[in-house]
Amino acid sequence: MSVFRSPSVLRSPSSWAAAGILAVVAVLAVFGPLLAPHDPLAQNTAALLQGPSAEHWLGTDALGRDVFSRLLAGSPVSVAAALLSVAVGLVLGVVPGLLSVYLGRPFEWLSLRLMDTLIALPFLVFAIAMTALLGNGVIQAMVAVGILISPAFFRVTRAAALSVARSPYVEAATLVGASTPWIVRRHVWRHVLPAVAVTTASVTGASLVIVSSLTFLGIGVVPPDPTWGGLLATDLQYLYQRPWGPFAPALLIVATVWALNALADALRDAQTAEAGRDAAADDPSSGAPSPDAGSAGDPLFPVPDPQVPDREVVR
Amino acid sequence: MTTTAVAAPPASAPAPVRGRGRAGDASARILRVLGRGLSALGRTALIAVPVFFFATLITFGLGAASGLSPAASLSGDEATPERIAAINAELGLDQPLYVQYATWIGNVLRGDLGVSWYNGFPVSQLIAERLAITASIAGLALVIALVLGVSLGLLAVVFRGRIVDRAITAFATAISTLPPFVVSIGLIVVLSVWLKLLPSAGYVPFAQDPGLWFTLILMPAIALSLDPAAELARQLRTGLVVVLDQNYIVGARVRGLSPARILWVHALRNGAGPAVAILGMKIPTLLGGAVVTETIFSMPGFGMLAADSALRGDVPVVQGTLVVAVVLVLAFSLVVNVVLEALQPASRRGARAE
Amino acid sequence: MSAHASAAGGPLLEIRGLHISSPSAPLVRGIDLAVHRGESVGIVGESGSGKSLTCRSALGIVPDPLRVSADRLAFDGQDLLTLSERRWRSVRGSRISAVFQDPASYLNPSLTVGRQLAEVLRIKLGRRRGAARREAVALLDGLGLRDPARVATRYPHELSGGMLQRVLIALAIAEEPDLLIADEPTTALDATVQAEVLDVIADLRRERGLALLFVSHDLAVVAQVCERVLVMRHGVVVEEGRTADVLAAPRHPYTRALLDAHDEYGLDRLRAHVPSAREVVHV
Repeated sequence: MSVFRSPSVLRSPSSWAAAGILAVVAVLAVFGPLLAPHDPLAQNTAALLQGPSAEHWLGTDALGRDVFSRLLAGSPVSVAAALLSVAVGLVLGVVPGLLSVYLGRPFEWLSLRLMDTLIALPFLVFAIAMTALLGNGVIQAMVAVGILISPAFFRVTRAAALSVARSPYVEAATLVGASTPWIVRRHVWRHVLPAVAVTTASVTGASLVIVSSLTFLGIGVVPPDPTWGGLLATDLQYLYQRPWGPFAPALLIVATVWALNALADALRDAQTAEAGRDAAADDPSSGAPSPDAGSAGDPLFPVPDPQVPDREVVR
Repeated sequence: MTTTAVAAPPASAPAPVRGRGRAGDASARILRVLGRGLSALGRTALIAVPVFFFATLITFGLGAASGLSPAASLSGDEATPERIAAINAELGLDQPLYVQYATWIGNVLRGDLGVSWYNGFPVSQLIAERLAITASIAGLALVIALVLGVSLGLLAVVFRGRIVDRAITAFATAISTLPPFVVSIGLIVVLSVWLKLLPSAGYVPFAQDPGLWFTLILMPAIALSLDPAAELARQLRTGLVVVLDQNYIVGARVRGLSPARILWVHALRNGAGPAVAILGMKIPTLLGGAVVTETIFSMPGFGMLAADSALRGDVPVVQGTLVVAVVLVLAFSLVVNVVLEALQPASRRGARAE
Repeated sequence: MSAHASAAGGPLLEIRGLHISSPSAPLVRGIDLAVHRGESVGIVGESGSGKSLTCRSALGIVPDPLRVSADRLAFDGQDLLTLSERRWRSVRGSRISAVFQDPASYLNPSLTVGRQLAEVLRIKLGRRRGAARREAVALLDGLGLRDPARVATRYPHELSGGMLQRVLIALAIAEEPDLLIADEPTTALDATVQAEVLDVIADLRRERGLALLFVSHDLAVVAQVCERVLVMRHGVVVEEGRTADVLAAPRHPYTRALLDAHDEYGLDRLRAHVPSAREVVHV
């Protein structure tokens, strides 16, 4: 995407920091277990609850296991779970979002109310309930989280599609006889894709937090397999003996989430800038899609005023 | 609905009405305000009711899909297929699904949430006990979030563009990144382990020991309040910055009104909308996020009840907690909409901050 | 009549050598302007000529990145350049008032117009709540609004442009100021409503001896209302004088072009519009 050639993205230091962090996380996710110096499951009763040392970079836990290795080994699961639930959410949100604009009133009403319902359900409680009641596995957890984050994709897709569907340019195309699929392919996609990209980045961060919370509570993962959230749980148990314990997994989670949010901001900024350039060029209707367009039928969960951007960016 | 009916047509003036005197004026105003509130209520209810039913369908479906029943554990040693079938029939679990749903929803609407499969207590009773705990934490978290969020947001606006503003915005963005459980653990490490200021686990009812009650819920409340506070500050700032650029603020200045009055009466009224909406959406999150916080601080609250019940396969309790949570969310949404209508009557016409 | 004692001779509003510039360019370059008690002065110019900024400097509301400097900027003998914000509050509304284009946008959309009017009466004139409400209705009545009691209970989005402008005028004269600045007050209104609002302003001038600084791009409107007129272009005054004189015998080519274009437009309004070389004035 030309977004990445945009000057503001390349110039700001936070973008580089974010990219760096995400690269590290990606490496950990793919090669984590291979990079671990020790066997993450190997217990060593001679060396319990030790602090950082040359042998054990982050010390050992209550069963003598090397914390650093566990952190590395737990990366793939944690990251994959987050990514896969985002993928589920994306599919479940984008498709109905587009359809709600083009399939007529009844479907629009139904999809809006279903999304409202998903928003009304208490996120973590429902995720736990769904995961636990349906077998308590990773897959169930990812699907549950995916379902619960789909409204975010739904809203963004719908808003983008609506802003285009109502533009004079598209109305003209329709009058001339252009079919809906053609319109979607030619015009709508161009607006939907950037918006969805931004949402994907920020939702992945949120999803990572949710997945970590679930594994923290022991939902969806089988011990003794390590996960970032699970590590925090054991750290909590022995907090008085190892108060520095939670630092590493917490830092990893927070840094990843921050990097993802920074990525989302960079994408959003670049997208707004591009939309501004586009507006002058060809399509007078193309502008950054208002996040509130179409939510006029949604007084239950009012989205803040469209003039108010979702997140402020500080450079 | 009074306001929609008497919108004056553009070209002509409204028909004259005989003077009504002061009492008449006052009662007319009250009626108008009530009418607006009711219409906001009505509109939201129109959406809330279907959502409620969809939520109950999903909740019920979850229980049904789990295929769980207490029959196995209830019958214990005598777990023969006949015994299990008998228990299932007793509990009505052999009925067709739509019948089960109808019975269940009928009971729910009458306030009967069923009985726990685990300990036989009425679900509503279990929830009521636990809700008090969660409510006190969430309540304190809300107060902290309001105080912190509003002050930071106002500070950022008043000093917009300067260092204070940038610092607050950066701080708010950073805070939102921190998941509550990270904050909770951090708070415990700092305040309990190092400084030994606050206890890190347990709960006592307010009636029993107010001081201890407060020290126990303070940390979880802080942990829960940070994200709403940050969002509140950001939305308030952005909303106000947009409003302060508007012409009617110039109009108010030109009439010689003081900056304080302009901020409170004119700017906030129109700029607080997004902040109120966000707050309304965050309140249910306080309930949902409470699960983790309660676990960390060993508080026997609503969230823990839901989580434990789910892990135990105690379907009635899980369903009950979900329904109660949804009702609370919808109720708050109604309140938020009525408040927004009171603040900004023009908002429905899209004439909000324009 | 104006409630304030008159200064001994001298103009009410005195501007000499006014310069307003942005970081990148000068916007107003050396304007001299005087409005005497009870006088009506017009400023004609296109957008970008600096006429609105000049008015804003007389109210102390020039937006921040712009810098204002002048040899003299005074009202009724009082220097305005060094006035603190706090002191400005006793000048704005009380002694100098303003109405602007697009009246709807200058009213708080979430409060009834009656309440906004009563606010000024309560805060700035110290009226009590009930008295302020009644006086607000009386003010609206005095401006020719039919059924003023009902209008006072309406929100801005429920009223028409003409009614809203009257409301703004009511807000502007509530404290009986000496000078009213009107920046394109009729530009956004329908032709018939324009005439009504201009009549309202003319009546006010007669009844209260209100001085008027009227800004417009429309020469015809200014001609109707103002005794003296200044023509501004690119931040400077290119012509100035009594309205009748300027209209009859314009000296500056720009003024002449304005008049010509206006005549032609006026004459051709009912016929097909034929563009000519002189139309170049309309950028």
